[in-house]
Amino acid sequence: MADLHSPAPRAAGPAITGRLPGAARLLAAQVRYQLLLLARNPRAMILSLAFPLLILVLNSTARHDVGPQLETALVAGLATFGLIATAYVSHAIGLVTSRQDGVLRRWRATPLPAWCFFAGKITATALMALASVVIAVAGGITLFHAHVTAGTALSLLVTFTLGALAWAAIGTAVTALIPTAQSAGPVLMLTYIPVILFSGALGSQAGAPPWLSTVTSYLPARPIISGASQALRHSGGGIAFISGRDLAVLAAWAALGVVASFRFFRWDPARPQHPHTPAGAAV
Amino acid sequence: MTAIEVQHLVKRFGGFTAVGDVSFAVPAGQVAAVLGPNGAGKTTTIEILEGFLAPSQGSVRVLGVDPRRRGAAGRAWRARIGLVLQSTSLDLQLTVAEAVSLYAGLFPRPMAPGEVIEMIGLGADTGTRIGALSGGQRRRVDLGLAVIGRPEVLFLDEPTTGLDPEARRALWGIIQSLVAGGTTVLLTTHYIEEAQRLADRVIVLADGRLIADASPDQLRAHGATPVIRYLLPASAPVADLPVALAGHVDPARHELLMKSADLTADLGTLVSWARHHHVDLTGLEIAPPSLEDAYLSLTAGPGDPDRARAEPEKVSYRG
Repeated sequence: MADLHSPAPRAAGPAITGRLPGAARLLAAQVRYQLLLLARNPRAMILSLAFPLLILVLNSTARHDVGPQLETALVAGLATFGLIATAYVSHAIGLVTSRQDGVLRRWRATPLPAWCFFAGKITATALMALASVVIAVAGGITLFHAHVTAGTALSLLVTFTLGALAWAAIGTAVTALIPTAQSAGPVLMLTYIPVILFSGALGSQAGAPPWLSTVTSYLPARPIISGASQALRHSGGGIAFISGRDLAVLAAWAALGVVASFRFFRWDPARPQHPHTPAGAAV
Repeated sequence: MTAIEVQHLVKRFGGFTAVGDVSFAVPAGQVAAVLGPNGAGKTTTIEILEGFLAPSQGSVRVLGVDPRRRGAAGRAWRARIGLVLQSTSLDLQLTVAEAVSLYAGLFPRPMAPGEVIEMIGLGADTGTRIGALSGGQRRRVDLGLAVIGRPEVLFLDEPTTGLDPEARRALWGIIQSLVAGGTTVLLTTHYIEEAQRLADRVIVLADGRLIADASPDQLRAHGATPVIRYLLPASAPVADLPVALAGHVDPARHELLMKSADLTADLGTLVSWARHHHVDLTGLEIAPPSLEDAYLSLTAGPGDPDRARAEPEKVSYRG
């Protein structure tokens, strides 16, 4: 059709002949990229790394009634607090911010496969979450002389890794309910703080009513704390005991998060409503 | 070879039709500008071509592929296109070098990161975080990331909106050097000057319809009128000017300035008057109509007197 308006013929763009980069290389680059973003986010670093350590230090200096039982619960609880702060709060805020800034939309238009973006983001999140656990547990060893054997460490690694993956999956799904980066903090805190407090992150739940224990045992924080507490109390050889029920609850939440993410995740930022279009039509 | 093909494209959002039956094709190597007022359907059209939106009716093909395609074929296709979105879309925490290297790693045969950074003029800011850059510099990073994979088709959605004139000119220079290499470009813009500077062809949309599709020169020649400009000599008997011309004289500047709907008649009148009164016509200028005039006459709203002239026909130069 284009006759008169055709340009002076130019050489067509160079044809791409090379092969697309392989999955391993793409994934490594994505993990590094996401770790950079997390490490350069001061809010994430304070909430995940500094806050649990601060509470541990305050407890070790201000309280003299802390027995060995409470110590392990406190170390396990605060490590879990830091873990979820990274795997859920920082992870989801990062996704919502990237979506709002159009960064996700740009990724969507590149040759990067979607699974590789998520695998990179979730791996980086899990690594950062485990780093926060290492700091909290190291604080526990220093301040409370907690004893960590190789068997304990292995059990902690399994519990915390599964916990991080479960919360990252839930965090990914929850971004569908958060319209803007400004509303991300409040929504995430409101869902995270009650769960973590009632699950005993900041101390024993000995006085809590039985129904509350039952409810929290099905939520994804309590199984991490109880699993980690048991592992920290473990002494002697071999791997510390891991409750199958706790792992099953965490795995179920991880699966729920993954399924909901596939169904509801949005790559495009929410737009202000067009005067002529119905809400959400233009995304 | 056709790089971009749009056939009877319709996009509805609920009851609102954003794009109504638009068809055009862009041959490989051409730079086409899609021009139109806000709400004309420019961004909806480009987002369908980029694969972000699905058409309600009709079909689009870019490099022969449906842009909605995912999977391996979609991945291979996305390695051949580049895009600058309407708003800046960058990780502010990354440095310029980090962002450029990260994107270079996605493509089979990328440009060297250093080469891209030099091209976008940020050689002195390689280690600067993108969040610390100015709006114009961020837009240049956007462009750098769009072209690092050596795209065959480049989509630029209002690439210079919101930039100051200097930053705009800098970006134009970069785009011009890119398209010299033969990349097909589809550009949406509000700025006539941008279309005139960069494009081989102008597609004008209004209210979701295609109302003109022509080269900038053809468009300019069609929809608007040339301008006669003549600085009258001090001795010229202005009072004797024929009525058709006298109304267009600015007495303070002693200048005749008129848009001429019938150039032959108006010039004839002027020449007769000059011959009769022995007036020297040195300095007489006849300027072609501006693209802006042509565009405004095409897109003028109802009630605008210019509308009547443009409404009845669609400007098209398809042979």
